[in-house]
Amino acid sequence: MNNSRRAEIGITLLTSVLGLLWLLPLVFAVLMSLRPQAEGLTVGSVFFASRITFDNYAAALSVAPWAWHAITSVIFVFGTLAVQLVTVTMAGYAFARMKFFGRGALLFIMLLQIMIPTAVLLVQNFATIRELGLFDTRWALMLPYWASAFGVLLLRQTFREVPRELEEAARIDGANLLQILFRVYIPLSVPAYVAFALVSISSHWNEFMWPFIVTRSEEVRPLTVGLNKLYSTTEVGALYGQLLAGTVIVIAPLVIMFMLFQRRFIQSFASSGIK
Amino acid sequence: MDGIARAEVTSRTAVNKRKPLFSLLLPYLLIAPTMILVFIFTVYPSINSVVDSLYDPARNARDPSEFVGLQNYADLFDPDHYIGSAFVQIIGQTLIFAVATVVISVPLALLFALLLNRKVPLQGVWRFSLFYPSLLPLIGAASIWAFLFSDTVGLINTVLRSFGGRGVNWLGDPGFVLWAVIAVNVWKQAGYYMIFYLAGLQNIPRDFYEAASLDGANSWQQFRFLTLPLLRRTTLFILVVAFTFAFQTVEQLQVLGMGGPGDRSNLLLYYIFQTIPERRNWGYVNAMTVVLVLILLVFTVSNFVLFERGREDE
Repeated sequence: MNNSRRAEIGITLLTSVLGLLWLLPLVFAVLMSLRPQAEGLTVGSVFFASRITFDNYAAALSVAPWAWHAITSVIFVFGTLAVQLVTVTMAGYAFARMKFFGRGALLFIMLLQIMIPTAVLLVQNFATIRELGLFDTRWALMLPYWASAFGVLLLRQTFREVPRELEEAARIDGANLLQILFRVYIPLSVPAYVAFALVSISSHWNEFMWPFIVTRSEEVRPLTVGLNKLYSTTEVGALYGQLLAGTVIVIAPLVIMFMLFQRRFIQSFASSGIK
Repeated sequence: MDGIARAEVTSRTAVNKRKPLFSLLLPYLLIAPTMILVFIFTVYPSINSVVDSLYDPARNARDPSEFVGLQNYADLFDPDHYIGSAFVQIIGQTLIFAVATVVISVPLALLFALLLNRKVPLQGVWRFSLFYPSLLPLIGAASIWAFLFSDTVGLINTVLRSFGGRGVNWLGDPGFVLWAVIAVNVWKQAGYYMIFYLAGLQNIPRDFYEAASLDGANSWQQFRFLTLPLLRRTTLFILVVAFTFAFQTVEQLQVLGMGGPGDRSNLLLYYIFQTIPERRNWGYVNAMTVVLVLILLVFTVSNFVLFERGREDE
């Protein structure tokens, strides 16, 4: 009994130490962003220096047109998601429930998107975007992501678990395909849609390289590109307070959303992994 | 209402007439948007990378590009050539980065999951703190770590110095910089892999452990002979995801020293990203892309084979 009690304490201790260690970067990012620029970590209290200031936020906000970046990020993320939901539902249903010539081969070709991620084909896709005349537009950000092989796979899997009898019953009632999707398949697959949406939102909200390459004007660049600009302008004087203030602004929406819906998030991400 | 009904009737008769053809085409129509985009942004660029990698790029509009066979690849692996001077070193670093990130973060993820799978005080807080890094943009995570690693004002060196240590120029020292980048990725990724392990652990029935402890198995034996084998499929799945990830996650370099000093922390995809703007490098950039795709395919396919074999064993 004494032994297991000791083990219990050991586990609690280990969890707390690891948890605190992992939390530390976030805590110091926030603390540094509230610290007067001139005061290093050794000035005043380790946590709060001599006083709390929002000057860094004001300075960070003046470096880049953040409102534009935020608008672009929101359009990028939700514009991508909205179209994805449609394409993924259509293809997911076809691959789950329809028989057609070449199905296996087409499925394999689609899976290439998972094996060779779009980010890796940066160079050629950049050229394609130029040829399509979409360079420096918000369309360029979204277009490659409107198809999601991962989403199609996830929904194909989910749709296959829907009993066929439900579809047949609806068909006998005279429902067409659109009605069948909306009355039978989609309502029964809500968790899969939530999982897909969360993964899609968080990955595009955080994307940097692709937007950086296919845009030039500030108005059509997302928050991550603004953050990069902040970094390149503050680098010289090591104005970390300002950089971290910008970072906090960019990461806050997702982190707060995660705080509020922790369980849902974790379940969704876990189920998104089940192929 | 009346209009809709009438429209429906006409459309139904129209559909009836065309029915065989329409229902034959329907599945193709449903997958068309996805397949067209996959073709434009995955298949076409993959083929084009291979083709363009065999050409010496046109320097200007009048100067035609010239077929050079595998010369671009030869240049990449030629240490005396300007493009090859760093390439082999960068490939080596990319492999070290991928393997180290995976080998450190996956066992750590398992540890996290085992710890959080029990009742511990403040469980919600620790779950948050271990998982939130995976929701940050790489470039944001890197900004935070750029401060932690900073030579003069950084947190790590401040702590080291307060204990009388000397402090290390983490991002400026060629011996440390790649490991600093790896540390950031481990910190960021471990919590993400943790959730797959958490899901896997929850699928193991409690009775298994009760039976094992009745048979006198201690905790270590239960872990070694029960938990670990039952998590095999989860582990293989995580490995596939983690390796694919490891070759793509390079954006942090933009803030953590841009691959420097002297390309000592550079990774293949980031090097490609840096080389794009120069027109004369077009052939090389494509050759590098092909090399990266091949490395990715080797890892994905071998993981997949491993995964399938793991399945057969059960």
